[in-house]
Amino acid sequence: MARMRLPKITFWQTVVAIIFLAGAYAAYARFALGFERSTHLNDAQPWGLWVGLGTLCGVGLSAGGFAIAAAVYLLGFERYRQVVRAAVLLSFLGYLSVITGMMYELGLPWRIWHPIFMWNRHSVLFEVSWCVMLYTTVLALEFSPSLVEKIPWDRARKLYLQWHHNILIGLVLVGAVLSSLHQSFLGGLYLLAKGKVYPLWYSSYLPTLFYLSAVPAGLAATIMAVYLCNRSLKTQVDPIVLAEMSQIIAPLLYVYAILRGTDLVTHVGASYLWQWREETLLFWVEIAMFVLAPVVLLSRASVRQDPNKLYGTCSLVVMGFMANRLNVSVTAFQTSSGFYYVPKWTEFALTLATVTACVVAFHYAVRYLDILPRRLEENRPTWRRVVSPVGAA
Amino acid sequence: MGRTKAILVDITKCIGCRSCENACKQVHGLPLNEEAKLSATALTVIEEHGDRYVRRMCMSCQDPACASACLVGALKKTELGPVTYDASKCIGCRYCIVACPFNVPRYEWAKLAPTVKKCDMCYARQVKGQDPACVEACPVQASIVGWRDEILEEAQKRILLDSKYVKRIYGSEEAGGTSVFFISDVPFEKLGFGTVPAQPMPVLTANALGDIPTVVLVGGGLLAGLYWITNRRKQVALAEASSAELSEKR
Repeated sequence: MARMRLPKITFWQTVVAIIFLAGAYAAYARFALGFERSTHLNDAQPWGLWVGLGTLCGVGLSAGGFAIAAAVYLLGFERYRQVVRAAVLLSFLGYLSVITGMMYELGLPWRIWHPIFMWNRHSVLFEVSWCVMLYTTVLALEFSPSLVEKIPWDRARKLYLQWHHNILIGLVLVGAVLSSLHQSFLGGLYLLAKGKVYPLWYSSYLPTLFYLSAVPAGLAATIMAVYLCNRSLKTQVDPIVLAEMSQIIAPLLYVYAILRGTDLVTHVGASYLWQWREETLLFWVEIAMFVLAPVVLLSRASVRQDPNKLYGTCSLVVMGFMANRLNVSVTAFQTSSGFYYVPKWTEFALTLATVTACVVAFHYAVRYLDILPRRLEENRPTWRRVVSPVGAA
Repeated sequence: MGRTKAILVDITKCIGCRSCENACKQVHGLPLNEEAKLSATALTVIEEHGDRYVRRMCMSCQDPACASACLVGALKKTELGPVTYDASKCIGCRYCIVACPFNVPRYEWAKLAPTVKKCDMCYARQVKGQDPACVEACPVQASIVGWRDEILEEAQKRILLDSKYVKRIYGSEEAGGTSVFFISDVPFEKLGFGTVPAQPMPVLTANALGDIPTVVLVGGGLLAGLYWITNRRKQVALAEASSAELSEKR
């Protein structure tokens, strides 16, 4: 007698379902009840978790895509070719999450198209919005072959992939320039708030500092994503490639630390570094996680070459980066505004649901598309396997 | 920019009657309740600091941070001096609130289609030749309005002629100069006035924005050059390999 089989429900499926349910309620609260009942934002803290975590970290941690694509296609680092698709996909999903975030972050999201027609070229945010629009388009095009190569119609597929091959170098170049611009201009947003931003986080070099911190953080996020795929999605990326990628992170962090340290000491005054205040503590937490610990750990070959330890170190970099962005956007305003902002749970829930949607999408893309090389013994059929005629572009 | 309008608030003259608050609310169709702080329904308020009454409102900066921040250009410095807000352009990003050095703009946090609320120095009235409602309502002329240069002269005259005044005009230098000035007999720090950088705020971002062409040209050029080298190397390697193959065959 055949027994009916219920589909197995795993632990992670349950977690994801709970996150989505909470996110759905939070979205309802945001759109049906308004900001006042779904957030702890007010006129003293008009930008909170959604900007600090959703936008600033979302864009910053997506910097791996342009960096790896430029390294492979423009600078000829062929070794990284096996991770370039994963890096581009991660960035693409990251930017989609930022745009999704805009839909609940903006007060009047149905006017999100306004910057296309209403220009103010003196506005840093205007430049950021255009760069994000254009770069998301670039990422969509860079990612498109992973989908198109699964199209069963030979002629259409070949035509598209040939066209894509022709424009790829241009795309990567434009993507790198656009990324450099808006990664730094996100920091440039805060230049205007001089006098409101606590001195430990205000610098006339904010744009440069944002750029210099986004690249190592984006690389660390890419390493983490590839590591997790290797561990649980039966992909096979040579650990040596990840170790090599991690070797770029430490020098970038050095440059960042030198610029930030020099600027702090010369323009702000070293006395701020050891004043007995909450800001000082959070500053050192950020610096320890983002710079000090990773620089020491990554200098050891035993850490770089052990995927588990490397993963741990990269997660430190990513968390330290998030601490930096939240410090700039939240902590830095506490003293001047006199308001102690703690996000409401619905703010966390919406951001978490958005990030989770990206993780789920990444998971399925790696499983069903040719994003990363697969382990040899694994010959599980995907929905259609067609070998791309133009290589792994 | 031609001659612009400005308001002078003489704190020594204000009696705290709140006629200005009321007039403002009536002109803008806002609920007539008394409020202690600026809000989305109170575009000017009288704050009490000790026994002094301090009026708060938009300072109408000469080079406003909010107008440079607004990505869709909803906030504008008008020819006449007031800084106006076009709610039909606004997308609700709230960068103006982050940017304002005087913490003036307020957001309608409770609404489902919220917009920014701030004093616009009664631009619509001034265009018609009328004075701002708050100034018109003041029974003791603690607030006066006029051409900015004349108002500034008047303020200078008052603080020079009468020794009770603090020798400072708040607004003459703050954020590169505003169109609302305060004079007082009590130091401004004791009246809740913030310390604001003396430079026009948009200068801070103008430098960064000016770097765009450099980043595009130098960065793009550098990358293109590096790509050319990479590509050339690849082709040389390919050519060498094929010629080696050929000579092997022979």
